Amino acid sequence: MIKITKRALLAAAVSMPLMAGSAFAEGLISIIVNDPANPYWFTEGEVARATAEELGYTANVSAHRGDTNVESNLVDAAITNGAKAIILDPANADGSVGVVRRATDAGIPVFLVNAEINEAGIAIAQLVSNNAQGAALGAVTWQSIVGDEAKYVEFFGNPSDNNAATRSNGYNTVLSQYPGLEKVAEEVANWDRTQGYNRMQSIMQANPQIDAVISGNDEMALGAIAALKEAGRLEGTVIGGFDGSPDAVDAIRAGEMAYTVLQPVAVFSREAVIQADYYIKNGTPMVAEEKQLFDCLLITPDNVDQYTAPFTLSN
Amino acid sequence: MSNPTPAATAQSSAKPKLNLLHLLLEGRAFFALIAIIAIFSFLSPNYLTTSNALTMTSQVAIFGLLAIGMLLVILSGGIDLSVGSTLALCGVFAGWLMQGVELQSLGVILYMPVWAVVVCALTMGAFVGAVNGVLVAYLKVPAFVATLGTLYMARGAALLMTNGLTFNRLSGNPSLGNTGFEWLGFYRIWGVPISIFILAATAIAAHLLLTRAPFGRWLYSTGGNARAAELSGVPVRKVQVWVYVLSGICAAIAGLVLSSQLTSAGPTAGTTYELTAIAAVVVGGASLMGGRGTIRGTLLGAFVIVYLGAGLVIIGVSSYWQTVFTGAVIVLAVMLNSIQYGGKGVKT
Repeated sequence: MIKITKRALLAAAVSMPLMAGSAFAEGLISIIVNDPANPYWFTEGEVARATAEELGYTANVSAHRGDTNVESNLVDAAITNGAKAIILDPANADGSVGVVRRATDAGIPVFLVNAEINEAGIAIAQLVSNNAQGAALGAVTWQSIVGDEAKYVEFFGNPSDNNAATRSNGYNTVLSQYPGLEKVAEEVANWDRTQGYNRMQSIMQANPQIDAVISGNDEMALGAIAALKEAGRLEGTVIGGFDGSPDAVDAIRAGEMAYTVLQPVAVFSREAVIQADYYIKNGTPMVAEEKQLFDCLLITPDNVDQYTAPFTLSN
Repeated sequence: MSNPTPAATAQSSAKPKLNLLHLLLEGRAFFALIAIIAIFSFLSPNYLTTSNALTMTSQVAIFGLLAIGMLLVILSGGIDLSVGSTLALCGVFAGWLMQGVELQSLGVILYMPVWAVVVCALTMGAFVGAVNGVLVAYLKVPAFVATLGTLYMARGAALLMTNGLTFNRLSGNPSLGNTGFEWLGFYRIWGVPISIFILAATAIAAHLLLTRAPFGRWLYSTGGNARAAELSGVPVRKVQVWVYVLSGICAAIAGLVLSSQLTSAGPTAGTTYELTAIAAVVVGGASLMGGRGTIRGTLLGAFVIVYLGAGLVIIGVSSYWQTVFTGAVIVLAVMLNSIQYGGKGVKT
């Protein structure tokens, strides 16, 4: 397990302005993430940048915020800049296929992280969390805390991200086995905290009794917690997240969130850059399979002390 | 006969210094573009290459198409906030038609040829524009409010049509006779992306409309002084409806071009693009009060905003700085607009 310490991240961030000049060491690696305002995508970008600079490349991190047009423009900029590789978190499983193909046709290897595209053979590698395993892990833990009978709410992520459906299906596969668990509402909150907050407020108006919340990611869960806290209904409600973000871990420490499922984003982000470096130097993929799954871990009040750095559990 | 571009005033012709200032003010968008290109070519060797120029210009195409429609509306004294949502709605509508329309009563799936899909998408844009136009011209709803409402409705319609997902199979099938969607923006002719040709054609058509057709004169006079225009026999209300229809059609064209470029039609496309379109119109020298502005200025404004944004991305500056710079450019442009158009006495 690679430990990316806060100091390394800070050092990388501080040295970034020095790299802004036109002197590229081994070449440029362009990292394109979704929205750095979300700590998950922020860590994804920063870990990739730190690893790229460690290996002697210049790196820049840009954000498409889920807009395929902006993603297209950023990939164009990477092609213009003669990037040696692109590390991309695709905006849309179907809609980003064209842009990945365009980069590959321009001779730049593309390594996808966190989310996949619905076509194989274009990107060199797709490094994603094992969302199915993580969802099952989370749902089993959730059910063991909640019990056999409860009224609950589910928050669904952005529908154009395959991970949203994978996690929801994983939850439902486990929870549908308990007839006493009644889903009173399922809302799409697009991975966003504010949307989770607003939806939760509306759901609370419609449902006087809510025992638990299961969410597709931490941000939506934190929004739900804020809404419940504001209404004074947080006590006794079980809330489960997915991501393992620092804010969620703080919520677990404070007893507000019951658990979260850690996505090894620090691991696969680093791995993506290492594989990119291998491909640049050798011309062949480091790993034979394109789709690589990285198992998720559980963070509960018991092991929360092992959370030493963003998205990192030290053993 | 109204001359939209301010001519040099008689008083200033004696002093060369004032003439230079006037010249700079007149051509500020052009000089700004030259300055941006110069600065970024200096900062990055990759900026001023043919391929990058073509790439950036094809990005301009989307905003340019929206800005042309927006200029027409702003010239009439109104504003159209719904163009971004109309772009998404028309793109999604075209995508939906390309997937095949199932007519359950007849038991068939209808696959339309691409030209028919284009006509339908343009009609959808014209319809949204007509709704805006009727609200503003006949029901006297303030343009800001009316188009704000249409913004939400069109966005909602697009999301409902797709359930939040995107339409991706836009290439068509030769056996069904509906291939060719890529010709709307994805392909290149002689190395130049088609979107640039579409932008040029729309700009020329709009320019001819504004300078050669009676409609253009009616539009400028409606924006300059609607009451005087009405009393002079200009069909002000019809003009107002038609500018919104034209804006809707421009947004539909932009939606088709964007869907073709990305090979996917999504309901969240174009969010906040209306603000960039307004920015392009303002940077190009049009007055938000109406009655002043040219297509040439608007296109230059669109180029300035996109080239600036693309340049910042290429030199690796954080995208948050992009938003700061775009805002600064707009504020500067509005200040220069008020220097040119405001002050004591009206420069005609």
